[in-house]
Amino acid sequence: MTNKELIRVQNYKKSFGDKTVHRGVSFSLYKGECLGLIGGSGSGKSVILRSLIGLEKPDEGEIIFQSQNIAALPENDLLEVRKKIAYVFQGGALFDSLSVYENLAYPLREHTKLAENEIAQKITSLLAEFGLQGNEHVMPAELSGGMQKRVGLARAIIMNPDVVLYDEPTAGLDPYNTIRIQEMILELKKKGVTSILVTHDMPTATAVCDRMALLVKGKIVFEGNLTEIKNDEDDPVFRFVNGKEVSK
Amino acid sequence: MQPFVASISHIFIEMFFFIGSFSRLLQKSFKESMTRPFYFGLFVEQMYSIGIKSAPLVAVCAMSTGMVITIQFGFGLEKYGGKPYAPNMMALSMVRELGPVFTSLMMAGRVGAGIASEIGSMKVTQQIDAIRALGTSPIKKIVIPRLLALLVSLPLLTVLANTLGILSGLAVAALELGLDPIYTFQKTLIMITVKDYTVGIAKTFFFAIFIGLTACHYGMSVSEGTRGVGIATTKSVVASSILIVISDFVLTKLFWIVEKW
Repeated sequence: MTNKELIRVQNYKKSFGDKTVHRGVSFSLYKGECLGLIGGSGSGKSVILRSLIGLEKPDEGEIIFQSQNIAALPENDLLEVRKKIAYVFQGGALFDSLSVYENLAYPLREHTKLAENEIAQKITSLLAEFGLQGNEHVMPAELSGGMQKRVGLARAIIMNPDVVLYDEPTAGLDPYNTIRIQEMILELKKKGVTSILVTHDMPTATAVCDRMALLVKGKIVFEGNLTEIKNDEDDPVFRFVNGKEVSK
Repeated sequence: MQPFVASISHIFIEMFFFIGSFSRLLQKSFKESMTRPFYFGLFVEQMYSIGIKSAPLVAVCAMSTGMVITIQFGFGLEKYGGKPYAPNMMALSMVRELGPVFTSLMMAGRVGAGIASEIGSMKVTQQIDAIRALGTSPIKKIVIPRLLALLVSLPLLTVLANTLGILSGLAVAALELGLDPIYTFQKTLIMITVKDYTVGIAKTFFFAIFIGLTACHYGMSVSEGTRGVGIATTKSVVASSILIVISDFVLTKLFWIVEKW
């Protein structure tokens, strides 16, 4: 992790109808780090994550990535940003009409000029790395939830993005698959991939994240590294982890 | 009275929202269809599932329509001595109205519902978001191949419907009405002009846009999970059928004005 700021979210505000979800969220993501974005259900963690690649537009505020405000970019310009920032969807979001191989080949065929044999080589080695060898021609519906998430993760990183956004990557998984996902995130971190992890799963968050940001009632109430979390009843992260109401 | 007024105003609001979204989708589709990349493979795939797979349904419907219309005209005109004109009237109705409209309504049901539910399911399972997140455009990947496939296949299916409908009608004219088959066939061929055919086929381009964009619009607008997919599918079929029927009147009138002019 370095001190180079890669993404800056500034005064992010978002409402859905009458419901105000974010009341001015600000945080930074530094190169090489993994930031854990935690918070209760419905606190809008995924909405922020989606906004980082322009899948949602904030009502107010800025999201600065490589000197440009993502929040103000038109859809066509966002396509370029999305080649650099990858998104790992909660359920994998695999294309159910395509096989595992075709799912993984999708971004390579769209954005590279690799020959088909090079694509095949890359996919075979990536599947082996993710413990999915032999599943090239399987359809997503035939995979278990854990395998779907691993394929989703593999598809997201196949283009070697600068940033990976994980939306609840371990939700609904058994301990074995949870550990596998954690290992994969740590492996990517070792390779220098910067990431944001949205999760409820505190063991995973503490295992892979360098810093945490706690989102409560539309604002970040804590942002810091794991050593800053106090064993104190007044500490918001301590209260959140221990299932107590966090109010601020 | 108040709930009635509220529901009417709700219908109008929804209608204006639909017109706005439809126009925006049409504009985006047109704009994006002009720029690279072009997905020819996806277009061919859609031609197969929209065009070729619909052919049996269209054929059965057209044959039945041709036969029924001939019988109705034949027996209806018999008392006025107009039985020999039944095949001509059937053929003219077929190419100008029944062929294009019935084929389009069949497609609105079969294809429109299919497109709306498929896109709706993709929306619910975040596959549309995944297309965007992977740096590609859902308009290019989903809307344009389906719309182009409809624009090509609907006129072709209408030609198929017209041909089979007329041939079946002529067969019934010979077998049920006792008319001379060779004479009625020749008379029918002389009777239908290129203009009649063109007017009928020209309508189908408009109908193709209505079916395709309405289905894509409702599919992309799904927001209430699997229940929303069902609602979107129903709305898509209803809206495109209404659009076909209403625009048919407007287009018919317009084409007659052009023809007379």
